[in-house]
Amino acid sequence: MSNINQKKMKDFLINNGVIIVMFILVIYTGFTADNFFTTNNFMNILMNMSSRLVIALGIAGCVITAGCDLSAGRMIGFGGCIAGTLLQRIDYSGKFFPDMEPLNVFVVALLVMLICAAFGSITGFFIAYLHVPPFIATLAMMEIVYGIAMIYTNATPLGGYVKEYTDVAGGKFLGINYLIWIALIVAAITWFIFNMTRHGKYMYAIGGNAQAAEVAGVPVKATLILIYMKAAAMYGLAGFMLGAKAGGASVQLGYGYEMEAIAACTIGGVSVTGGRGKVSSAIIGVAVFELLKVALQYMGVDANAQYIAIGIVIFVAISLDIRKYIARK
Amino acid sequence: MGMILEQAGIPLIMFVICLICGVRMIIMQEAGSIRGKNAGPLKDEKEYAKHGGVLLLVLAVASLVMAVLMFINVYAAVVEFVVCTIVVSILWKKMNDKYGA
Repeated sequence: MSNINQKKMKDFLINNGVIIVMFILVIYTGFTADNFFTTNNFMNILMNMSSRLVIALGIAGCVITAGCDLSAGRMIGFGGCIAGTLLQRIDYSGKFFPDMEPLNVFVVALLVMLICAAFGSITGFFIAYLHVPPFIATLAMMEIVYGIAMIYTNATPLGGYVKEYTDVAGGKFLGINYLIWIALIVAAITWFIFNMTRHGKYMYAIGGNAQAAEVAGVPVKATLILIYMKAAAMYGLAGFMLGAKAGGASVQLGYGYEMEAIAACTIGGVSVTGGRGKVSSAIIGVAVFELLKVALQYMGVDANAQYIAIGIVIFVAISLDIRKYIARK
Repeated sequence: MGMILEQAGIPLIMFVICLICGVRMIIMQEAGSIRGKNAGPLKDEKEYAKHGGVLLLVLAVASLVMAVLMFINVYAAVVEFVVCTIVVSILWKKMNDKYGA
């Protein structure tokens, strides 16, 4: 009996080791650093989490089907740039479209999502119909989107946004920032899709065993296209949110975010081998990742050393996930 | 150096990734690194890895060409890479139908 308990305890520690270590780190930082456990800091962390959560939720869908999406970062940059060019003040000297009145913020958000979704559906088509591995297809799409963003913006940094756009990041409803509300709404919609729709069930079935799912009548191709399309729309939205928060954008916006999002999903419990993962996994992963970054900043760790620490966390989290997969097999 | 990385950093990263994966597939004759360990069995893994590796090398070259073209004409760079991606993807489908699942 005690052996079984010991094994359970060991498995729990290994499966949640990264989260436990980070939790201890956060507690330690909270008690040693001033102003860590404050409402302001908490709201800042939530603000930073919001756009990353939207990205992670998009990537989670791809990872659950045993795929990945390396084009996320460039889609974010492209989305941010499209939104930026359409929402500059009319009196701004460096206006991208000099004679164009700024559009409605909601219309632009929708437009950005639709454009990115179109690119996502192309990626999905390559994966589903041409059987190109997701790793290669999304890598190629990353480069194509980057090139298109360079053409579109002429590599010009954008700024001078209308107040309505910057208010998306600065405004509040019930004392909570709009960005956090957007992330919550996206999380709720994603939870509904994952758990309450046929599409969600198909997604898990494909991740478990794509061939078996196809034999069972799952429309694998259409589901894959929809997953990559949905994910790309989320990256577009994240780009829109990041642009509003930064008050500017360039093609470099969102650089490396795809890796952070994949890592966050893995830390939270979305398996890179497919078939497993929940919305809560992405939320936990993003929270842990963001808290780690803030804790390292509070501890005065050098900015470059932070990259090393984050890299180690990603490496350990993915290694533990692979270990779980091998143990299951 | 900073300017080169800023302008053509992403195509160069892709060049390196495709080069490493392509060479690895050809030498190791295994497709797990590209398809994932959980993917179903293949008809002929060695041939799949060999042909897939060559296609990845083609994509690597296309990426390198794009990196160079980024300094000359960005339109040409994007068009070149889009055409190469479409061609490689169609060839990948043919290869997959022959040697894949």
